[in-house]
Parts: sequence; C-alpha cells; structure tokens
Amino acid sequence: MTAALQIDSVHKWFGSHHVLDGFSLRVDRGEVVGLLGPNGCGKSTVLNIVCKLLPYDSGQAHLMGEPLSELGYRARGLVGLCTQHCALYTDLLPAENLNFFARLYGLSEKERKQRVAELMSSFELQRFASTQVGQLSGGWQQRLHLAVSLIHRPKLLVLDEPTSAVDLEARMGLWSIIEGLRDSGTSILLTTHHLAEAERLCSRVALMHSGKVVAEGSIPELLFCLPGKAVAKVQSQDNEAVIQRAAGLGWRVRQSADQISLLLPQVLSLREIVDALDGTEVRSVSVQPVTLEDAYFEFVDAPDGLIKIVNKRINQ
Amino acid sequence: MHSSHLLWVQTLAVAQRLLLEQWRQKRGLIFWAVFPSAMMLLFGLVYAHNASMRAGLDAAAAGILVGAALFFSCLGGTVAVIAAERERGTLPRLLTTPLHPAAYFLGVVIAQMLLALMQVVMLYSIALLIGAKYQGSLLLGGLILLLSVFSYVGMGFFLGARFARRSEEVVVALSAIGVPLLVLGGTFFPLEIMPQGMQAVAQINPMLHMNQAFKGVAAYGMGFHELRFELSFLVVFCCVSLALGIQSYGHLLGRDKSQ
Repeated sequence: MTAALQIDSVHKWFGSHHVLDGFSLRVDRGEVVGLLGPNGCGKSTVLNIVCKLLPYDSGQAHLMGEPLSELGYRARGLVGLCTQHCALYTDLLPAENLNFFARLYGLSEKERKQRVAELMSSFELQRFASTQVGQLSGGWQQRLHLAVSLIHRPKLLVLDEPTSAVDLEARMGLWSIIEGLRDSGTSILLTTHHLAEAERLCSRVALMHSGKVVAEGSIPELLFCLPGKAVAKVQSQDNEAVIQRAAGLGWRVRQSADQISLLLPQVLSLREIVDALDGTEVRSVSVQPVTLEDAYFEFVDAPDGLIKIVNKRINQ
Repeated sequence: MHSSHLLWVQTLAVAQRLLLEQWRQKRGLIFWAVFPSAMMLLFGLVYAHNASMRAGLDAAAAGILVGAALFFSCLGGTVAVIAAERERGTLPRLLTTPLHPAAYFLGVVIAQMLLALMQVVMLYSIALLIGAKYQGSLLLGGLILLLSVFSYVGMGFFLGARFARRSEEVVVALSAIGVPLLVLGGTFFPLEIMPQGMQAVAQINPMLHMNQAFKGVAAYGMGFHELRFELSFLVVFCCVSLALGIQSYGHLLGRDKSQ
C-alpha cells in the first residue's frame, strides 16, 4: 500500500538560506509520525509544503501516492491542518464555523449536516452549541479547531503543535481525541515541543536538525540506538569536576541548570556511579532509563558520524 | 462537485458568513445605520431651515448615499474584513482549503452589495420622508450605484491587502484619507462654492465623478447621454479599482502563503 505521505530528498531555499537540505520522511496510512526539532530547523516549512502553502525547489513529495506538485487544489481536500493558533470566526457559533468550512470543501447539504452533527457530538461541543466561539475557553476553541480540520475527512491530518497554547486539562482532552483518531486509522503528521506528547501519541518519531531528518524510528528503536542505556542525574558542589571525570570515562554529558545528566554506557548501580565519580563532591545521584528526551538531545546535537551509525542501526 | 458549482457554493458561503458576522456585531451595525441616517436628518434640517437652499436637498441625499454611506460601508467594510482575517489568522487557514480566490472576492462583493442595498433603502426612506425626491431613471441610478460599490470594494481590497494590518489602522486610515476625499468629492458642499484651486484638485478625485453621476440622475433627472463623461470615468475607475484589488489580493495570498 502506498504511504499517506512520502517525501524524498526535498530541498527548499529562502533566498540564500537553505531551509530544507534533502529532507525525507514517510507517513504510512494509519500511522502517527512525530516531527521534532528545535525552532528554526524547518518543521513549519515541511508542513507548509505538505499543505501546499509553499512549493519546494527540488526532490519529490507524494501524497496518497500522487505527486504533490501535480495535485493542485485537490491536495487541499486530502490534507487537514490544525495549528496552535485557533483560526476560527469568533462571532459565529461552533456549528456555523464547521458549516462554513464544510461548504468551502464542497460537501453536499446532506453530507454537511451529517458531518457537522457527527463532529459536534464526538468532540462534545453540543453543550456550547449556542455559544459564540469567541466566548469559549482556549481549550474548547482548540477542540473546535481540530474538528474543523477534520470536516472534510482528510486522508492526512497535519497537527502543528496542537496543544502548545492550552492548559493541562485541555491538553489531556485533546490527546484523547488524537488517540481516538489514531485508533480509527487516521494518518497524522504531528509537530510538537512536548516530548511527552510525542511519546504518548506517535508510533514513529523523526528528529530534525538544520533542515533534515537526523534520526527516525519508533521510540524503542531510537532509544536502542543511543550510546547509553541509562541516565544518571547528578547534583554536585563542583559541576566542572563531574563533567571532566565523566568525559574521562567516555560518558556523554548534558548540563541543565544545576543538574548534570550522564548517559551511562551500561546500567550501573548508584554505588558504582558514586565510586566512578569519586572525589567530585557529589550531593545526589539518581538513575533512570533513557527517554525520548535523551534521544532528542543526543541526535539533534550529534556529529554527522554518529548520525550515520544511528540511521544504519535503524535500517538494520 | 463541478468546479463552477463549487465556486458558487464557496462564494455564497463567504457572503453569508460576512453578513452573519455583521449581524452579530451589534455595535458596528448600529454605527452603520446611525451614521448615514444622522447625516441625512441633519442635512434635512439645514435645508428645511433655509428655504433658498431647499432645492439642494435632493442632491444632498444622493451625495450622502454615494459619497459617505457607501464609502464607509463598502470601502471601509472591505478593508476591515481583510484586516480581521489577518488578525484572527483565518487567512492562512482559508489558504489550506480549496476556496478559490475568485469565490472569496465575489463573496465579499455580494455581501457588500447587499449591505449597500440596505443602506440605499434606509437612507432614501428617510430622505423621502423629509421631503427629498428621486428625479431620474432608477435603472441608471442602480447602474451607477453598482459601479460605485464595485469600485469601493476593489479599492478596499487594494488598501486592505497592501496597508491594513490591524483593525485600529483601518479607522485611522479611513478618517485621514477618506474625509478629505469626501469633502473634495462634493459630498457635503457643492463644487461651485470651493476656491478655483480646490476645484481643479477635486477634478482628479474619483469620488467627485461618482457623486456627480448619481446626483445628476437622482437630483437633476439627467440621462445617459448627459452623464456620458461621468459614466465613462466611473467605468474606467471601476475597472482600475477591481484590477488593483484583484492584483493586491493575489499579492496578499502569496505573502501569507510564504509566512
């Protein structure tokens, strides 16, 4: 079966700025793929290309097996986009917003009524049926925004940081909805800065840096490729000494605020870690399994040599 | 769905949405109705008080309609629609749908035409009540109003797409540019009472020719032949406005796409 989205070696320049540098990605049907990376790495450009808001300069992109460049307006009927900013008509009611967008997609009156009722029900929006959108909370606006992006039953749903502007409770609600969509077989491309979101929702993750994918795979695959099996979180009176000692042992080091994370090549006990760091005035140590966060920092900042090894291992 | 049918469905969807939004914005709707009504009543009182100026009431009604009411509702309304789409972020959202640019443009034109029609009915009801008369051909008057609405919407797209980023800017820009144009367009005072220099400048103001064309029909009962210069000017101005509006709208879509 053809992929919902297949992008191969796509390049994009803005003037002299090379935004996408041989970007490749595949989203299979019914799969949720997370696209993660720092701000400015090119994620939004990828989404704009997929949504036909931007052309690409070279490479190939296929949507549902058809070349994106040849799809024209038809591509817009295949993709649904939900961004972090609620782009809705605030003076209209929820159903009026849904109806308006349904008409733009050319749904017949019968289909429109049925689809609007279906989405109002499945997104639990009936209780706000007579409330203008501008008077809804941010979380409920975002819920409606997501419903609007599904009005035409898109083959691929593109979610651009969909929960970044809502509170925790609303985020949980949106996650449940996205899980429901995933379980019903909707293909989803998701960008997010919440790694917990990616861990919960995505079947595969692509880590992006400087316009290209530097590592890609399921979360267990990415963790398997890490040059470490556990992370020691260390607090010390003398951070520099810990860093030097860990580097001397060949352990990868990451420092954030007053805490140092050490990527351990094998699982060690607390005693073994303290012994290895002897003389560095360690105040506290805890050990935890590696997570997507460790993979993110490792691969996004990794030198090219490491990236090649990782990709090779994933391919195996 | 056939493409021409889809275009029509989209056009109606845009027009209906704009009218519904206008209806929901109660305060805006009140100002929309109060401004031309108050102007008409005030002018009516002035003319009623001065018997020698009584004949000018018919021209005042025409001038207030074309020069003031339609200017603010159609031109100002179109600029405000585009500024609001930008502020809410709905413009990029629309770009991800199959909405045809022509459907959006036509949708705005239809919505503004219906609003203009309501203003015509409202303003002329008041004008007739206070003693003004409509003297000429309804068909020719309708044609001039139609050309004026198209011109204003075209200019609205041009100004909105090129300059208006926020709703507040729309109000300031309309006051700063619009009111001098209205005065120089003979909306409030006849051209004859202006100094020679001002009259010369006024000749290049398209609103003067719009006013003169509609006043000619509505107040003086002139026909097509007598107004051929004003009508030709209005047709050319309408074409230029629409071309500028469409071009600017295309520019706006391109720019919002790349953001």
